[in-house]
Formats: sequence, structure tokens, C-alpha cells
Amino acid sequence: MEWLIFLIFGTWLIASALGVVFVKNPVHSILFFLSSLLAMAGIFVSLGAELLAGIQLIIYAVAIVVFYVLVITTIPWEKVKRFEGFYKKELLTATPGLLVVFILMAYMIIKGKFAPHAGVVKDNVREVGKALFTSYLFPFEVASVILLVAMVGAILLGRREEG
Amino acid sequence: MSIEKAYMLLSIALFLIGLLGVIVRKNLITILVSTELMLNGINLALVIADRVIGRVDGQIMAFFVLTVAAAEVAVGLGLVVAIFRLKGYEGSSEITQLRD
Repeated sequence: MEWLIFLIFGTWLIASALGVVFVKNPVHSILFFLSSLLAMAGIFVSLGAELLAGIQLIIYAVAIVVFYVLVITTIPWEKVKRFEGFYKKELLTATPGLLVVFILMAYMIIKGKFAPHAGVVKDNVREVGKALFTSYLFPFEVASVILLVAMVGAILLGRREEG
Repeated sequence: MSIEKAYMLLSIALFLIGLLGVIVRKNLITILVSTELMLNGINLALVIADRVIGRVDGQIMAFFVLTVAAAEVAVGLGLVVAIFRLKGYEGSSEITQLRD
């Protein structure tokens, strides 16, 4: 059963990731990205990370994808059309290198051993919330500062120069 | 081979597909989407590690990755729009100068 879920979601995920890379039109590529996010949320649910799956759907699949599409609509379409597609020569040189990297890392993972179990998580959402607001409280606050700085930076970058 | 190792291989494949997209795409916006794919691969690896060890720390790291992804999208798309407005092109091979 686990392997069936893995096969279904894995095929879906890899197919849509390849679609993101190889489809010409940027909007289609973003739609493939949305499909890969849905597959990823399914994998998270099947692995027992329900809170992360929900947040993945809310933040990525709603906020970030909508943001990309909005930015694409602000750019004049005929100018985007000049730069769709990919570089052929770079594709020919990068693919063997990345395949070699994948084979090396796959060998490492298949031959290696994972760390032993340290505990059992019964209620995922409760455990994550407890850990997030006790031992990870300071990084949590730092994350809010990072978001604030990113917002200020985006406003500064996106503002038109006033003459 | 256990299912965790298979999922780990899946996450590595996802990361490398994203890296391939960063290398080969012409359009700056699709390059940003490919970096999102890479971040998703990292998230998957963190969740798998959580399941192997039986704790929740990896999922919290994945939350921080999500935060950084949101910040990266805001700043990166702002940069892309600024480059496009100032220079009028957005092919990744034509941006060779940091100044204007």
C-alpha cells in the first residue's frame, strides 16, 4: 500500500517537475509547478506531516503561485515570448553532470544506514506546535523579522522612481 | 530497500531537476520557479528524516524553509520586475552587468 502511494505520487511529482523545466510557456510552467505542489502535499499527508501539508497548500499553492501569475500578467506578453524555452547546449552539458551527481548520491543513500529511531510521534500537529513555540521560539521570531525585511525590500524594489 | 530510502531518492531527483531548470531556462521567472522546486525537494528530505528518526524537528526546519521561500519570491520577483523595467529584456544570458 505504501509503495502504491509512493509510485502514484512519485510519478506525478517527477512528471510535473519535468514539465516545469521543459514546457515553453511560463504560465504553463507555473501550472505544472502547482500540480507538483499538490503531489507534494499528498506525499506529506501520507508521511504523517499533516500540518506541513496544509501549510504547503495554503502558502505555496495559493499565495506564491498567485503571486507569480500576477507578476506575469504585469509584464507585456510579447516581450516574454522572446525568451521562452531553454538553452540547448547547456541542456546537453548539464544533464550528464547532474545524472552523475544523482547516481553518486543514490549509491550513498542505498548503501548507507539511517540513524536509529529516537521516539514515536503520535499527534503530529500538537507535537509540531509544542516544539515550535518552546525550543524553536527564537528562530520563529527571527522568521517574522525576515518576512518583514523581505516585504520592505520588495516594496523598495517594486516602487517606480519618482521624477 | 525501505520506503524511506525511496522517498529520499525522490527528493534528490526533485532537487536536481530544479537545478537543471536553473541552469537551462531562459526566462528569469521560470528560473525562480525552478528554485522553488529545489526548496520543495529539501522539504521532502526533511520530512523523510523526521519520519526515520521519529521527531518533529525536521518539519519545523521545513516551516523555516517555507518562510525563506516566501521572502525569496517577494524579493526575487521584485528584482525581476525591476530588471525588466530598467533594461527592457529578461533573458538570463543577457544580464551581464550589476549596474545599469
